[in-house]
Amino acid sequence: MARKAGALETMPVSRYARQTRWGLMLLTGVMLAFLYLPIAFLILFSFEDASTPGLPITGLTLHWYQVLLSDTAIQTALLTSIEIAVVVTIIASVIGTMVAFPLVRGGVRAPGTLRLAFTMPIMIPGFLIGIGLLIFFRQALHLQLGLYTVVAGHLVFTIPFVVLIVASRLQGFDRHLEWAAADLGASPWRTLRHIVLPLIAPAIFAGAVLCVTLSIDEFVITFFTIGPQQTLPLYIYTQIKFGVTPEVNAIATVILVTTLSLVVLGSVLLAGGRRLRHRTAE
Amino acid sequence: MAEMNPQLDRRQFLKLAGTVGATAGLGAFLAACTSGATAAPATAAPTTGGGAATAAASQAAASATPGPTGTFNWLTWGDHWYQAEMDAIASSIGIKANITSFSDNIDAYTKIQQVGGQVDLVSGDALWVPHYYESQLIDPFDINSLEVASQLFSIARSFKIWTSPAGYLGYPNGWAPIQITYDPAHVTPGADSWQLLLDPKYKKRVVVEDQPVEVMAYMGKAAGVQDPYNMTDDEIAQAKALLVQLKPNILRLAPQATDTVAALKNGEAWIATINLGADTAVMDQGGPKLTTFTPKEGSIGWMDSEMLVHGGANQNLLMPFLEVHEQAEYVAANFMINRRPLFNEKAYKLLINQGQQELADHLLYNKPETVNTMTLKGPGSSTQKVIAAFNDVFGS
Amino acid sequence: MTAETREGAAGSAPLAGSSNSIGARLGRAVPALPGLAVLLFLFLVPMGIMFVFSFWRTNNDFKVVVDWNLDNYLRFFVEGTYLRTFVKTLIMGSLVTLSALAIGLPFAYFLVRYTGRMTQRVILLAVIVPFWTSYLVRVYAWQAILGENGALNQFLMGTGLIHTPTDIFNYDDPGVFLVLTYLYFPFALLALYASLEKFDFTQLTAAQDLGARPDQAFRHILLPQIRAGIITACIFVFIPILGEFLTPTLVGGAQSSLIANLVVNYLRQAQFAEGAALAIIIAAFVTVVMIIFRKSFRVEDVVTSG
Repeated sequence: MARKAGALETMPVSRYARQTRWGLMLLTGVMLAFLYLPIAFLILFSFEDASTPGLPITGLTLHWYQVLLSDTAIQTALLTSIEIAVVVTIIASVIGTMVAFPLVRGGVRAPGTLRLAFTMPIMIPGFLIGIGLLIFFRQALHLQLGLYTVVAGHLVFTIPFVVLIVASRLQGFDRHLEWAAADLGASPWRTLRHIVLPLIAPAIFAGAVLCVTLSIDEFVITFFTIGPQQTLPLYIYTQIKFGVTPEVNAIATVILVTTLSLVVLGSVLLAGGRRLRHRTAE
Repeated sequence: MAEMNPQLDRRQFLKLAGTVGATAGLGAFLAACTSGATAAPATAAPTTGGGAATAAASQAAASATPGPTGTFNWLTWGDHWYQAEMDAIASSIGIKANITSFSDNIDAYTKIQQVGGQVDLVSGDALWVPHYYESQLIDPFDINSLEVASQLFSIARSFKIWTSPAGYLGYPNGWAPIQITYDPAHVTPGADSWQLLLDPKYKKRVVVEDQPVEVMAYMGKAAGVQDPYNMTDDEIAQAKALLVQLKPNILRLAPQATDTVAALKNGEAWIATINLGADTAVMDQGGPKLTTFTPKEGSIGWMDSEMLVHGGANQNLLMPFLEVHEQAEYVAANFMINRRPLFNEKAYKLLINQGQQELADHLLYNKPETVNTMTLKGPGSSTQKVIAAFNDVFGS
Repeated sequence: MTAETREGAAGSAPLAGSSNSIGARLGRAVPALPGLAVLLFLFLVPMGIMFVFSFWRTNNDFKVVVDWNLDNYLRFFVEGTYLRTFVKTLIMGSLVTLSALAIGLPFAYFLVRYTGRMTQRVILLAVIVPFWTSYLVRVYAWQAILGENGALNQFLMGTGLIHTPTDIFNYDDPGVFLVLTYLYFPFALLALYASLEKFDFTQLTAAQDLGARPDQAFRHILLPQIRAGIITACIFVFIPILGEFLTPTLVGGAQSSLIANLVVNYLRQAQFAEGAALAIIIAAFVTVVMIIFRKSFRVEDVVTSG
């Protein structure tokens, strides 16, 4: 943080620097507003009287939140979704990052082909992956379906995202840092742990965030690979005959508020920790 | 150097949080994996149908001798159960249902085809039931061995398509025809035919479902086809011609009933194909008063049932479960939640006692023989060609 | 000291990680093994099964029966609707990718350049957390905004800007375009951020010291170094759009079907052989394009100094 501020201060200010900065800030703000516009409606509909979410609003009520509190089925479904997403994210982030290194640094014979191979799961519609896995698991492997088969199914299409993101970060990574560390006597493992990983952490973070996003709302592959369990997307997407009620808006609002609070809380705690460290360091 | 320390702090924190989170996640995940049944313990206060729940539960508890307990796996639609009922049944006879949902018969069929006995009870429509039977995926049973079956309309216990030499193929649940509904404020009243959908006056005012086979079946009916799920090439061509006429009228192909109801509710759509009863939902939510009719050329419809999956590990729990789940009190409460007719005759009488006769009659509850006038949904031989025709019309 | 050196030159640099013995090479490839295992067993094998299916056909019993034929592949080329819809999907995908990049790049630039690391993470999470709620529920909200009696029209009419409800978004392609941009923007953003984050902004200082205009510095210094990120962002947006069928259904009308809708119409009715063939043709197309432009997708490490 300190170094960034330094760079800004010493930079020769071009004629347009201030306008650029304010312009970019405006764009960011407008885009954030655009992203949250449907969210505002989502939250609004969770309070609406009618049993189908949508305009016009005939009245406001807390009824759907009450329904949510006593609906153990949807709560269990949500918890299952979260469990799956957490496990998938951890495994995919680790495996994907591991693949990125040989891919970029010449550990494999045909990196271009391998990268293409890892892009393929993104090209195939989820339906096909789901059906293929169902047939493979049942007829070739005779497995009982369960949450672990769901995790396996999710890994197929989340790992490519991690691989691609981390690989694009690794490309052009300044090897001199590693070589300097080696000169100073660090083993490859220590170099990895203390130099490389911290520097590519933002890419791994971005990949992990993508994994959670992809997994937590995945419906098609989940349907075909799950056993006698339920996830939240399954619950929502399968109400085709009689439609969803604003209860799903309520649970979406709860998810949103909880995770945003955790994010804010986490950043406040960490910022506090850093300030404390600065103070004691002086 | 001061910059290294904040990084360590953050890393330490993240490491700690990560370890805790991962352990918790993995632990919970492994627990869930091994337990298999994730049904939650019964909660205290049921919401709707509270009185009905306790009444039926105590009745069942009084009449039943202590039977097997445990959890079974049920693949079904969301309107076949409600949480308060499941909690009450779990606490009264100790049988829990581990419910997974699906949306189309074909999805459930594909799943059961592959996983077989990993599911114990599966719900299915009309002509899908004999299809399951022919594929040897379900076990027939003697429906009259269930005491609660005497509460059904007699017609429901003797559907030919659900009868086999080895017994009845499924326990009947509910039914509905597809109807056409319209807003008389914008649409000339008095329509009685599928042709209403094709009237060029209503450009972008019609909502139909995003179901290629069903929509082509509607057009087949409009063209006078007898069996729209097994159409000949000529009939498909006729239906396709009508579909081309329909296309400019379509506002949207609705993926869910929610979308149809929402479009009618806010006035974007004036005409729609719906399951019987969806019009009451629109009006209840502040939408316009709608007129509904069954097209004179004949309609499509469904009737569903619960089937016992062959090889299910917990099949012994199913009969005791059905004895309680299909009691009139629960069925009546289900009707009030989901608003479409069911096959339980005693529940109809209960509804009359509760003052709901008008609603029940409006939804044809006491006329289960209507199912004989419907073309029943089911797997057909023209599926592939029909999809090809649909793609041709709705592609660019 | 800013010249890029190719990997050949790296051989003369200190030797950490550049030994060429079999053992060393094998050792370097080991980390890729779990990923390769997943790819092989959970993707290639099941897709191999579907590939074989695509040459057979589905019977009335929804079973795929052995009946070697090319009908399922010919269908894509013979019946005009698939080609036309495919072209439309390519155009839609390109437009969405361009707009996601056009917004994502300044957004990511702002984050990396003007905010600290913690703020960056908070904002990124703020962008993506709404995407952890149900897709369906968020798109329903868009319907409420874009529809004929939706919030947008009510706003425009209420402020007197228009007098009859605007029809542009009314269950038609522009609505699909808008919602697709909304849905895929975070993917582009994350990919661009990950790549932009490593960029050393003092290079722009140096360039300007040497007399470059800001936009020249941007084009010749910044863009080449984040090219990998831009390409990744394109992959993250464009390719999934080729498989998007829910958004056209939810927000589009009768004319908004994209190629995935046509494919899914088959798959949803368990016509796996027919659907698989169509999906494989699309994947093959993307693969061919990526092979033709493989120079742009070059992944071998280039060593930068300075």
